[in-house]
Order: sequence, then C-alpha cells, then structure tokens
Amino acid sequence: MSDAAKLQLNGISSGYGAVDVINEVTLSVRSGEIFALMGKNGMGKTTLLKSILGLIKLTRGSVAVDEKSIAGRKPSELIACGIGYAPQEQPLFQDLSIRDNLRLALTSDRKLAAAQERVYGYFPFLKERLSQKAGTLSGGEQKMLILARALMLQPKLLLIDEISEGLQPSVVSKIADVLKHEAASNGTTILLVEQNLDFALSIADRWAVLKLGAIDDQDTNGPDSRSRVLQHLKI
Amino acid sequence: MTLLLDIISTAAILFIVAAGLLAIFGVLKIINFAHGAWLTVGAYCAVVTTELGLNPWFALPLAFILGALLGGLTERFIVRPLYRRPLDAILATWGLGIVIGQLITLWFGRDVHFTTALMQGTVDVLGTSYSFYRLFAVLAALAIGLGFAFLLDGTRLGLSAQAVIMNEALARALGIDTEKVRLATFMAGAGLAALAGVLLAPMTSVDPNMGVPWLTGAFMLVMVAGTSFGALAVACLLFGAAQVVVSTFLSPILGGITVAVLCAITLRIRPKWFARA
Ligand SMILES: Nc1ncnc2c1ncn2[C@@H]1O[C@H](COP(=O)(O)OP(=O)(O)OP(=O)(O)O)[C@@H](O)[C@H]1O
Ligand SMILES: [Mg+2]
Repeated sequence: MSDAAKLQLNGISSGYGAVDVINEVTLSVRSGEIFALMGKNGMGKTTLLKSILGLIKLTRGSVAVDEKSIAGRKPSELIACGIGYAPQEQPLFQDLSIRDNLRLALTSDRKLAAAQERVYGYFPFLKERLSQKAGTLSGGEQKMLILARALMLQPKLLLIDEISEGLQPSVVSKIADVLKHEAASNGTTILLVEQNLDFALSIADRWAVLKLGAIDDQDTNGPDSRSRVLQHLKI
Repeated sequence: MTLLLDIISTAAILFIVAAGLLAIFGVLKIINFAHGAWLTVGAYCAVVTTELGLNPWFALPLAFILGALLGGLTERFIVRPLYRRPLDAILATWGLGIVIGQLITLWFGRDVHFTTALMQGTVDVLGTSYSFYRLFAVLAALAIGLGFAFLLDGTRLGLSAQAVIMNEALARALGIDTEKVRLATFMAGAGLAALAGVLLAPMTSVDPNMGVPWLTGAFMLVMVAGTSFGALAVACLLFGAAQVVVSTFLSPILGGITVAVLCAITLRIRPKWFARA
C-alpha cells in the first residue's frame, strides 16, 4: 500500500432527476488498500459507485483515477483500463450461461482462457457448470459468479456493491479471503460497499460511512471502529 | 404444390422485410417506423440501376450501403438524442419515414416504376414449374436467418448485442460500448430494409408509398415474435400461409390485410405464445 490515491473523488454530486442523491462527496482511496463504505439503505452507496464509473453523470465535482481526471470517459473505456465492478442490482444475465456471463467481462476472447483459469482458482464450482444458466444458480452461487466476473480482467481498482448480501457465513469468509488475496497479490485497490460491518471491518484498511449522500465519518480501521460505525448505522 | 411454394416464398419475403425491424426492436427497444421508407429507398435503388441500364445485381450492395448509411445517420442524429424518450424516438422515425417518402416523390414523381428482374424464368420443382426468382427469395431469407443466428450465437458482437437486448444497464456497467452496438444494429437493420426493397421490386410495382403496407405487416409480426428470430420465422410461415390461402381462395385484397389482422388477434388472445416458441 502506498499513500498515492488510486481513486480520488473531488466534491462530486450526482443523482437521478432534479435532486442530487450524492452531495459533494470528497473521498480518497489509496493505492492497494481495501476501503469499506457503509451506510444505511438508500443513503446513496450504489449511486456513488455508478457515478464513479460514469454510469450516472456528475452534476458537480470530478473523479480522478491514478491522479488523472476521468471526466468525459465512457464506462467502456474506464472498465477497459482496469476498473472492475460487481453490481448490486440485476447483476447477471439470467438467461445466459456462466461461460457467457464470464466472457462478457472481457472485450475479446483472446485472454479468456487465462482469465477463466484465474477465477476457477477462487471458485472451482464455476468450471464444472459452465453451460448452466446464471439465473438457475443459487443466490450464493450467483454472488460468487458476480465477483468472479469482476475479477476476470484482473482489475487494478475493484468496486464491489454489497457482495455479502444473503450469504451464509462460510461463503462470506471465503469471499473475504478472495478479496484479501487479490489486494495482497495483485495490489488491487478495493472500494467495498457493505452492510455487513463485521465482514467489511475484517478486511478493510480504512472505512467511511455515507449518510444522505455525504460522508458522515471516516477513519483508519482500528479497535473502536466497530462501535463507531454501529453508532452511525443505528436507526 | 404451387400453393405450398407460394406459402414458403411469401413467408420468406415477410421474414426478409421484418428481420431488420426485429433486430432494431430487440437492441434499441423501439419500433423504427422509417423501416418502410428505407424499403422504398432500396426499391428505388433497383429503379435507378434499371434506368441507368446497369447490371440489376448492382442494386443489392448499393441499397444495403445506402440503407446502412441512412440508418447510421438516423441513429446518430435522431434516435440517440431521444435515448431517454423512446416514445418520441418512435414518433421521430415515423416523421422521418414521411419525409423520405416525400423526397422520393419529389425526385422520382408519383408514377409507378418497374425494374429489371434479377433473374428470369421458371424452374421445375417436383413437376411444378415455379418462378425462379421467388425461390431465390427463399434462399435469401434462409441466408439472412442463418446469418443472424451465426452473428448472435457465434460472434463477440452478437454476444454483446444479446447482452444489450437482455439488460442494457448491466451491459453498460460491464464495459460494453452500448452506443456502438446500437449504431451497428440500426445500420444493419436499415441496410436489410433497403435490401428487402430491392428483392421486392421485381415482384411488385415501385411507388413512393410501397413501403407502407410492408411496414404494417412487419410491425405486427415483430409485435407477435418479440425479440426472437426463431419466433419470427414461425410467425412468418403461419401468417404468410394464411395470407396466401386467403388471397388464393377469397380475394387478394383481403389477403393483403390478413397478416396484420391475424397478428392483432394473436396479440389480443395469446400475447406470449410466440415469444415462448
Ligand atoms: N434509478 C433511480 N431513479 C430514481 N431514484 C433512484 C434510483 N436509484 C436509486 N434512487 C434513489 O437514490 C437514493 C439512493 O439509492 P442507492 O441505491 O444509491 O442507495 P444505497 O445506499 O445503495 O441503498 P441500499 O443499501 O439499499 O442498496 C434512494 O433514495 C433511491 O430511492
Ligand atoms: Mg445499494
């Protein structure tokens, strides 16, 4: 991990209509760290990730990756230069096979075999069921496929939206291992949006809490982090 | 036997006309009401090659390229700006269809034109002599159908197109250049419409409004078939058969509206029937 910012948000605002959901968020995620972003339902976590990827237009502020502004870049360009995304809503092509879902993470089939082998290492069950339709996988298996797909292009920056939702504890710890391994072995920077704070704080280097589209609190992960975050997540 | 061949070739022609409309509908989720106008543009390509005394086959690539170019311009400057207002986009293509029709009238007049057949004569099919050209249309439809099947299931572009058809927001989030997929589809769809116009020209007469009845039929077929080329082929066969039977035994005028009427009835009682097929 270094002090250089992999991802820098400079006072960004964005939303869906007249009102902004995200309000002037400034946040810096350092190269190689796992950064946990928490917050109650509807606080704008998903919206923030979509804004970073350019899936939603910013109304104010700017985003920089590797200290270069990415204003005006298309999502396809950002993803091609190494940003992985594991979305929360409708995250899989239900009627496509596991193979095709994985294929869609890459723009050509040239590096497909190598990328597949890499993610089979994490999730071996995928290999045996390549032609099964994604929609017929169990909820937990779908989550693993979503993460596997995001890892296909060996991203330098990984945006993950509530991957632990509805997972049994052993799968959650499996995913924690995978993310830790990616960060340690590839230097992948991870922005982890989570509701499960035990999971998030078990792997995060730093954390922040989003409230009504703004950063409410943030700190380095430490002994009192759990109680502080819990305080923010109370009703 | 003639009846059977009529059915198959009518279905083939319906399929050729509707395939481009279906592709655009699947990817862009809009019905392109300029489809009939592009078909007419294609037919006039055949008129031009005939009047210039060129080889009639030359009209095929000419129409496809012209149609794809027009389609590309339409997507870029009319449909894309209305991305978030699909209803307005549909209305805009309708308006565009009228404008193109008027421009053709200005240029070529209202008169009916005739074109040189791409090929003449008849062939003997199991004892029945039948128009060589209509059989050629069947081959063309098969080629287009297989071409689409290969494109969708065998190529990266096809996989991207499927992804956009199924879930455009996710496709975008995974880094698929959805704008490019939309543009390519619109160009291919428009090119196919113009190609259909060339193929149709020798079988009917060419006039500035010839696309309208074809648009109506193709539109209804696409509504019935949803986004599946297989379902479209089945629908073309069934409704094409009905059209031929009605035209042959009742009246050609009734035959002309059979497809639209039957599709409307199907949509009313079994809207999901073909989509599942
Ligand atoms: N497509 C949309 N159109 C309009 N409003 C939306 C849309 N998506 C989200 N919102 C609104 O934006 C706000 C933030 O939503 P967002 O999905 O970012 O929350 P979240 O923090 O990810 O919540 P959760 O924990 O439930 O996933 C909510 O009030 C939501 O109603
Ligand atoms: Mg969310």
